[in-house]
Amino acid sequence: MNRRVFGMFAMAAGALLMPSPALAHHGRALIYDTNKETTVKATITEFVWSNPHVQIGIEAVDANGTRLHWLLEASSTGILAERGWSRRSLKAGETVTVTFHPGLRSAPTGDLIKVVFADGRGLQAGILR
Amino acid sequence: MRVRNQFLIALAGLLSVVTFLSGCSSRPAVPAAPQHPDISGVWLGGGKGSWSTTRAKPGTEPDIPYTAWSLERMKGQRPGSGSDSDFENTTDPALKYADPLGFPRQYQHPLKFKIVQTDDYIYQLWEWNKVWRQIPLNKPHSDDPDISWYGESVGKWEGDTLVVDSVGFKDSTWLDGVGHPHSEELHVIERIRRVDPGALQIDFTFEDPVAYTHPWISQHTFKLVPGGKMTEVVTTMSDELHYRERFLQQKPPVPIRR
Repeated sequence: MNRRVFGMFAMAAGALLMPSPALAHHGRALIYDTNKETTVKATITEFVWSNPHVQIGIEAVDANGTRLHWLLEASSTGILAERGWSRRSLKAGETVTVTFHPGLRSAPTGDLIKVVFADGRGLQAGILR
Repeated sequence: MRVRNQFLIALAGLLSVVTFLSGCSSRPAVPAAPQHPDISGVWLGGGKGSWSTTRAKPGTEPDIPYTAWSLERMKGQRPGSGSDSDFENTTDPALKYADPLGFPRQYQHPLKFKIVQTDDYIYQLWEWNKVWRQIPLNKPHSDDPDISWYGESVGKWEGDTLVVDSVGFKDSTWLDGVGHPHSEELHVIERIRRVDPGALQIDFTFEDPVAYTHPWISQHTFKLVPGGKMTEVVTTMSDELHYRERFLQQKPPVPIRR
């Protein structure tokens, strides 16, 4: 098999084998438990429309009945904008249902997956592909 | 009657002469400009971590012909994403120093870019950090191109394919997010083709005799975003350090904007 044919074969095989495209800023696997999803009814405490990641503070009661404050990250402003978000999407004091990958560290952090509002509207946080 | 006939004959002759002269004085027909495919528009790649087409551990990919020089460089790299990542202690210059991604890594960012196409130039405008690239068509490279973050590019059409030739890159940038290195000898050839109305395919050839024993290839496909709005997404060193302070509990080593 010559080099060019091998390259084409490797490219085709790679297209089938490649995992989801890596995120621009950092990988998630070492920071968040990407196999686990946590969903809580939460009160928004802050919404920071920033880069490299939009930051969302929430207060909610965990599965053990303990009131906790989490700091969640989402994608960059541009990626969220493609998903229909804007700097006014969330307001402090608002009650929403939030789903996220919980952090692997002791600090209560999370990687946002989606937000569902009281009226049933939802906003997704991942990269649009 | 005879006078009238002579008048009509003279008039016809005059008209013939005028017609002939007007034909002689008209400018020669200008050949139509070649019609090139329309690759303009807003394009989205969805993000890419490595130019390797395999899932092998960086440094061992069978499709990348490393030299000893580049393997040695790879050993010291700690990417922020990928299978070998160490985000907290990364050596990725785009994270550690908030350096520009450089070229061709800019293509791997998941945000959009826009192509503006004219007869003489192709312009690329990226949302991420508001980066732009200008590609003159049918021009040679400079005699001694500067060394820069995004290099010097020239392009030409070959049928339905735009071929872009780029040289003159700073060797501090990474080729991609997993840390494939390059030297200032890097030479990138892109073959850009609209493979269907909604898809732009770019075939890359990377040549760098310092870092790779022979040229190697990769490919990235982008989908059209009709009416795509170009937004500003700029990240500074302060933004990076602020993020790290909040999410990784890393104390900023320098004062940052808050």
